[in-house]
Amino acid sequence: MNRAIVIGGGSDALVAAQTLARAGREVIVIEGRTAGLDEGWVPPKVLRELKIKGFGLEWPDPWLTVPLPDGGRLELWRDMARSVESIGRLSARDAGRWPDFCQRMARLARYLEALYAAPPPDPLSARFALRARRLGRLGLTELLRILPMPVADLLDDWFESDALKGALGAAGVLHLLQGPRSGGTAFRFLHHHVGCPPGVFRPPRSNILELLHRLPRVELQGTGVRRIAVRAGAVTGAVLQDGRELEASLVVSSADPRRSLLELVEPGWLDPEFVRALRHVRRRGVAARLRVQLDRSPGFASLALAPSLDYLERAYDDAKHGRVSRAPYVEARCDAQHRLEVLVQYAPYGVDCSGLLDRVAEMLVEHWGEAQAQHAELATPRQLEEFEGWPEGQPHHAELSLDQALWMRPLPELARYATPIRGLWLCGPAMHPGAGIAGAAGFNCAHAILGR
Amino acid sequence: MPRHDAIIIGAGHNGLVCAAYLARAGRKVLVLERRERIGGAAVTEEVFPGFRFSVFSYVVSLLRPEIIRDLELPRHGLHILPLESTLTPLPDSDYLIQWNDHDQNRRELARHSLRDAEAYEEFGLMLHQMARAVKPLLAMAPPDPTSLSFREWNAMARLRRYLGDLKKEHFHRLTKLLTMSSADFLDEWFETEALKATKSASGIIGTLAGPRSPGTAYVLLHHYMGELDGVFRAWGFARGGNGSVSAAIAAAAQAAGAEIRTSSPVSQILVKWGRARGVVLENGEEIKAKVVVSGADPRRTFMQLVGEKHLPAAFVESIQRFRFRGSSAKVNLALGELPDFTCLPGRGLHLRGAISISPSVAYLERAYDEAKYGEPSREPYMDIVIPSLLDPEMAPAGKHVMSIFVQYAPYHVNGGWTDARREALGDAVVNTLSQYAPNLKNAILHRQVITPADIERIVGLAEGNIFQGELSLQQMFFLRPVPAWAKYRTPIRGLYQCGAGTHPGGGVMGASGRNAALRILGTG
Repeated sequence: MNRAIVIGGGSDALVAAQTLARAGREVIVIEGRTAGLDEGWVPPKVLRELKIKGFGLEWPDPWLTVPLPDGGRLELWRDMARSVESIGRLSARDAGRWPDFCQRMARLARYLEALYAAPPPDPLSARFALRARRLGRLGLTELLRILPMPVADLLDDWFESDALKGALGAAGVLHLLQGPRSGGTAFRFLHHHVGCPPGVFRPPRSNILELLHRLPRVELQGTGVRRIAVRAGAVTGAVLQDGRELEASLVVSSADPRRSLLELVEPGWLDPEFVRALRHVRRRGVAARLRVQLDRSPGFASLALAPSLDYLERAYDDAKHGRVSRAPYVEARCDAQHRLEVLVQYAPYGVDCSGLLDRVAEMLVEHWGEAQAQHAELATPRQLEEFEGWPEGQPHHAELSLDQALWMRPLPELARYATPIRGLWLCGPAMHPGAGIAGAAGFNCAHAILGR
Repeated sequence: MPRHDAIIIGAGHNGLVCAAYLARAGRKVLVLERRERIGGAAVTEEVFPGFRFSVFSYVVSLLRPEIIRDLELPRHGLHILPLESTLTPLPDSDYLIQWNDHDQNRRELARHSLRDAEAYEEFGLMLHQMARAVKPLLAMAPPDPTSLSFREWNAMARLRRYLGDLKKEHFHRLTKLLTMSSADFLDEWFETEALKATKSASGIIGTLAGPRSPGTAYVLLHHYMGELDGVFRAWGFARGGNGSVSAAIAAAAQAAGAEIRTSSPVSQILVKWGRARGVVLENGEEIKAKVVVSGADPRRTFMQLVGEKHLPAAFVESIQRFRFRGSSAKVNLALGELPDFTCLPGRGLHLRGAISISPSVAYLERAYDEAKYGEPSREPYMDIVIPSLLDPEMAPAGKHVMSIFVQYAPYHVNGGWTDARREALGDAVVNTLSQYAPNLKNAILHRQVITPADIERIVGLAEGNIFQGELSLQQMFFLRPVPAWAKYRTPIRGLYQCGAGTHPGGGVMGASGRNAALRILGTG
């Protein structure tokens, strides 16, 4: 019995399935609900090994438009010179520092890139120490200093313009129940910079999911999984939503770890201490999603309403005390069909979001000019949990904070993708590196299974 | 030939510890203190006639036991009286009291939550193990993982082996402790709000961060280490106030031959050809020495006393971005009678311990919310002791002194600190405390309010930060105060640092002073 079942239809699941299939396994993918948010940057190693052609990343250009209080706009472009020009209208000092800042952040993000294309390092091994040293002394010092910092401190060290700092700082708190003054948000800022060209601080979109679907070799099933069958501490197969039972000696799940281990597996197989630790994995959803259909172009490709670090921090204050932000951080992206996808943060999971739709629409309407909204729909974190399968509405399945990153992602006991149940492996966004890095966790997981 | 082997700038406890170690090794040491008294932030002053206060720092617990042993401090007059409990009064007239006594503590916790009472045992054990794991780090110059030198590589390898010997789960706990917020960390263990808040409060002391900000859990451990070594099990109070700690260390230094001069403010460190040659006093006097050791904070040491022109640009940039942001104030009260807490009326044992105003984590976060936008907390976190109950000589017979540590009172307050602001802070403290002890207002005979700006002005600590720089992860270990210069040395040959702005920093601990001295002597 050499069959493998892969749970989930996201890029991690499909990469894991493809990698296993290439190694000669019979693989069935149970797609269930396809999770979104996994169309981002993919480590080149994954593309090479799966021989994926035609991969492309895209950012809007300018990748961010920020309305200014005086009616003007700050525009950040992929072309650094254009950004410098735009920033220069706010502050000559900031404009002068922009290229240097971008180069430094790009260099630091490349270190993370290298860490993300492999299973989490063992921090105590001499190999890790040697590899870390190869970053060079300045680089490593800088990295160790910056990772635990609040993103606000990092930006305050470089810039003076509130609009610029607010727009950049938002990348440090995206999908996180922390404010820009919380420790570790500088790490998040760098994390979202991974895979981006210097000077772009928003995660890209890619066509990876579409390309993965086109690959041959694995059997796709549209249904979901009801239960993972376990006998004598080892996986024996899966029971599907439609009642069918499939035998397998290997099950690879991209669902979140708590669901995979505590809901899909019958209780009793796991150590109570481990279960306790698993229940403490933080995965608090904090962002609502608004979709608006406009009748014409709003005049921006990507708009951020986060006028200052204090604004973001105050938005977080509300969330911290269990309320929806009275003045939320809002970021809207518009596609060619004039569909706006809007992120609204903070809207904590389980909190009453009534009135939020109107408030956000009101904030946006003055920026989309002549355009008229034809249809608008808000999904709260609770609804996102239901529609997308994001636990508590958290697209990363486990919050990416320093204590839930690298060899601690999502728990030290699970960081190597194996679980205490033989034959059951995890490969979703909750695993290293996860959280918006598409396919890498699936790739690392499959390699761990194949013993490479 | 200089008359002195070493000049130490500042007679704070770290400077004195450093002086004592150097003098005991036979060096000719001169300590120069700006104020008319020694002690830095560890002083006892008679602020109001008959009422004596540990004006700034007010408890001891972190003072390294090896220092107490090496310098024979008890022989020089150090006497620690333990604080037996921590009382957290609650708004609904209930309370939580944590006792040093194990059984008593368990009974009290069980009154709030059986689960917490059980978890507490394991929690204590775990923190004890963590503290033991980290302790060796305090007594050594922090190894620099980024250095390529053989010596550093070896030190790191030793550290790796040492950490590798820890049980795997301990190592993981340790990395979590370093990166988590104290509130998240405690949420994993306990459910009683008052317990979580009081414990997490020690994670925010001296730092402009809330208990929900990642990185605060380590400071919790930093403070727990005081409860370790068997010399004193818990937080204690020095008989005669914290000035007597300084006095004992100074006596040890003097007995070993060190000379201490007060009212001798240093205006400049003499640098020639990249080497420190001595100091110039404000009155123009020049004193030469082979080695100059600064106990002042990094900003004062480098930006004021040395001067930018002697330093590499990258180093100056690092010093400039070293963060201070003092966030705490001190209120000292002279009382006609003891406070009477609604939740525990009368004069009980509970008054002899610490009293913590920290009813919930949300309370602490609210206090922080105001501070981050530049306002002092209207309802601050407070840590209170009544020293006169432990040492009657601190106040006239029948009267008392109360020492209140207040957080948050940000240094960068909107509009700057004024007399009106200072009194408003005092009022906020008294009003908040009166909610729990209604007789307090009428019991107050005198009140002294010390803002971060006052701390900076009087003691010289930059921005009034009590740790000579925030104890946040990006400013600790080999990064404190500047990457690659964390081993008490500086880019100026012959100039060393020994203040809390170096590893491990913070609290009346003395480790920085000792480590610096060992470094200078070439044995650490």
